Amino acid sequence: MAEHVATGSRSGLRSALPLLLPAYLWLTVAIFLPLSAMVFFSSMTELPLSGKAWSFTLENYATFFSERLYLTLLLASLRLGLEVTLWCVVIGFPAAYVLAKVLKGRSREAIFLLVILPFWSNGLVRIFSWAMVLREGGILDTALNAVLPFKINIDVMYSYPAVVIGLVHSYVPYMVLTCYLTLQAIDDSLIEAGRSLGASRLQMLRRVIIPLSMPGLVAGAALIFVPVVGSFMEPRILGGRTGTFYGTVIEDQFVAVFNWPLGAALSFILLAVVLVILALTSPVLRRAA
Amino acid sequence: MATTRILEWLGRLYIWLLLAFLYLPIVIMALMSFNVSPFYQLPFEWTTEWYASLWQNDQLISATSNSIEIAVITTILCTALGTAASLAFYRYEFRGKKFLQALLFPPIAIPWLITGTAMLIFFFGVGIGRGLFAILLGHVALALPYVIVVVSARLQTFAPELEEAARSLGANQWQVTRRVTLPWIMPGVIAGGLFAFAVSFDQFVVSYFLSTPGQTTLPVEIYAAIRKGFTPEINAVSTIIIVVSMALMLLTARFFKFGGEK
Amino acid sequence: MAGVQVSNLSRNFGAHKALDDVSIDFADGGFYALLGPSGSGKTTLLRQIAGFDFPDSGRIAIGGESVERVPVERRRIGMVFQNYALFPNMSVADNVAFGLSVRGEAKATIASEVQRALDLVQLSKLGGRRPHQLSGGQRQRVALARAIVTKPRVLLLDEPLGALDKALRVDMQIELKRIQREIGITTIFVTHDQEEALTMSDRIGILRDGRLVQEGPPEEIYDSPKSEFAATFLGDANIFRGETTGVGIRLPDGTAIAARAGATLAAGAKASCAVRPERIRIAIDSGSADQANGNVLRGQVSKRIFAGNNSTYFVERDGQTLKVIVQNTGADRLAAGQEVLLRWSPKSTVLIAAN
Repeated sequence: MAEHVATGSRSGLRSALPLLLPAYLWLTVAIFLPLSAMVFFSSMTELPLSGKAWSFTLENYATFFSERLYLTLLLASLRLGLEVTLWCVVIGFPAAYVLAKVLKGRSREAIFLLVILPFWSNGLVRIFSWAMVLREGGILDTALNAVLPFKINIDVMYSYPAVVIGLVHSYVPYMVLTCYLTLQAIDDSLIEAGRSLGASRLQMLRRVIIPLSMPGLVAGAALIFVPVVGSFMEPRILGGRTGTFYGTVIEDQFVAVFNWPLGAALSFILLAVVLVILALTSPVLRRAA
Repeated sequence: MATTRILEWLGRLYIWLLLAFLYLPIVIMALMSFNVSPFYQLPFEWTTEWYASLWQNDQLISATSNSIEIAVITTILCTALGTAASLAFYRYEFRGKKFLQALLFPPIAIPWLITGTAMLIFFFGVGIGRGLFAILLGHVALALPYVIVVVSARLQTFAPELEEAARSLGANQWQVTRRVTLPWIMPGVIAGGLFAFAVSFDQFVVSYFLSTPGQTTLPVEIYAAIRKGFTPEINAVSTIIIVVSMALMLLTARFFKFGGEK
Repeated sequence: MAGVQVSNLSRNFGAHKALDDVSIDFADGGFYALLGPSGSGKTTLLRQIAGFDFPDSGRIAIGGESVERVPVERRRIGMVFQNYALFPNMSVADNVAFGLSVRGEAKATIASEVQRALDLVQLSKLGGRRPHQLSGGQRQRVALARAIVTKPRVLLLDEPLGALDKALRVDMQIELKRIQREIGITTIFVTHDQEEALTMSDRIGILRDGRLVQEGPPEEIYDSPKSEFAATFLGDANIFRGETTGVGIRLPDGTAIAARAGATLAAGAKASCAVRPERIRIAIDSGSADQANGNVLRGQVSKRIFAGNNSTYFVERDGQTLKVIVQNTGADRLAAGQEVLLRWSPKSTVLIAAN
């Protein structure tokens, strides 16, 4: 009722503030101020605390644009993000469809839980577990050689495909989750109505189901693409020497090269890319929520 | 009808293949942690010696206790701060409410690599530096939005008249919260707390940038070990972690149905 | 117990005037109905009296004590909500005990008071149940017991019977009235159901657009509405519009309608007359002479709606549709198309100034 809403508004903020302040103060100190500080540091020559003289500069950003390496790596990371997202759509959407429209009752609930459970378990360990499978002399290698009559050598480890496999494994549950939510909201009678009008299964899928599940697909894609572009641990473990991406370069600036201002600039550029992507998808995301 | 049944059957088969894809590596890793050969050679021979040797690894044990400690404190802080904030959003209307709610999105959506490096720079700049306290600061901030989202979802099912009824019966704000509101949202609060624990316990990226050699968490320690080379001990400790974190999420699912209220 | 005085109460929500200078005196021990369409401000007024919201200006006194700045939890009121608002995590007995328990009463006192309240609403045996195990009517009784167990100064009811079906609602009306008489508590009752307001209350206040339109005993409002809105919102009325003649009005076509003596309006001013449909007698127009001291109109029946104990005739006259309700006495029924004479006494005609 409109009256209820208006009731609170007069003294609303005053009453809400004590409850909100601790949480938002914390978020400010640990998220918002650091993100702002990153912009600040990215335009310095040296860290102010290092004792060396420092001044403001745009050199760190100039480095990004002048050295082909960084741009190339950013493009490689974007390509990786696209590829992983695409695979997640291809693998995840059909699974979500089966979960939402084919399975029923308790088995649906149980299997749904099983699918999204890994997503909330330790990501590092799950990436590591692929190393066991993909390495030469690993399980895949041994198993295939045991079955096949001829000798083959499976060594996917430390390659681009290994990185893609690991990342898809990490993020496909997200796509299943978001697509499942939108598919579940589609009334079954809608599908029956379409079929009664003579539409084939494929026509229904193309003209009704996929358009209606677009919010879920876009939400899933955004939520996968963004972290994949910023991934560094997965390429390091599964990619080895081939696993140099934009994320790993940023990591290097902070833990190996100790060029923090450059790292901050690279991080900030990534943040800008991420924000553009989120802004582009936010109308769809808002509709999904 | 026949096509429908075949398609349904194919659908089920597909789901099981997906589950195999998701779980096989984990199962294999777990199996290998019980294999005698340190080089993961087959045939498989059962042993628990890698688990036993974990007890000798002081570094791993201290990292584990750090991880648990930080996760517990994160859980307590996040449930308290998050529940309070959710209640504020539920109870009051004020200017800027939408904006404050939108601010919960960045910590979830921005890649941890960015958040982590930003924290590192900022904490260094203001003198907090690296270490367990910095890690705790970061973990609470990362988990807080999840708790607020989960508790708020539960609050959506709560009728505002219940609070009004309690007040009309003479209950003050604290009595209303403790005796009427909290009992109702408790499943959401517990689920939020478990979420917070899982986010903190499994967190690697942010911890990685904020840790120092002496003050580190289990996932960071494992990452360091992996980069040095694979050892059966890593399998063993990884198996323990994945079992713990999956058990936690199963527990959470008892209180909070993903994508809908029970 | 205590009376409630509301004086010059105003409350704005932005540009919307939810309450506009409302004054009502709710006498001690009375049963009041606040009646009005949705958005009329009746719920806002109730929430102001309860203390969920504070007025922009004006005064609220309970038992002579100014309370308009006192928050709800310290006003000592009892309230029954539209959806009962029973605490789902507590048993029936704990729900009823809540108000006493937050006041820190002794356990023994609480137990006996709760039992007494449950006895009063005839639910003594259901104290151990949970709210979701109760029927709608039972929930209603628990909500009532919970509201009165703390011995509030005033009982506020926000459309408490709205969620019940028709038969149960009538039972609960009688029950509510019995309990109110038994404990003699000042009761203010918000409803949009005019029948409920008429049958239950000692006095009715009609609100519209945040203003108090009329206030008084049900009979007075029904028999002497002071505005077209009051006449048509509480009960049904035929409204004639014209110019005052001193004893009534003259319709645009020249027909004079005589009204009850008493009202004085300047001749020539715009005014209306209201006549209840059941006060009009209908007869076949046989061309007989007009009665000297009554109002008479000619018309043609366009429709008849049969409702068992009565029939409603719709009569067309000079572009206006008039309603006439006739008790089912078994007399001849009139068919559509029939030319008829409508007669009624000036005593049944209320003169209303145009607003």
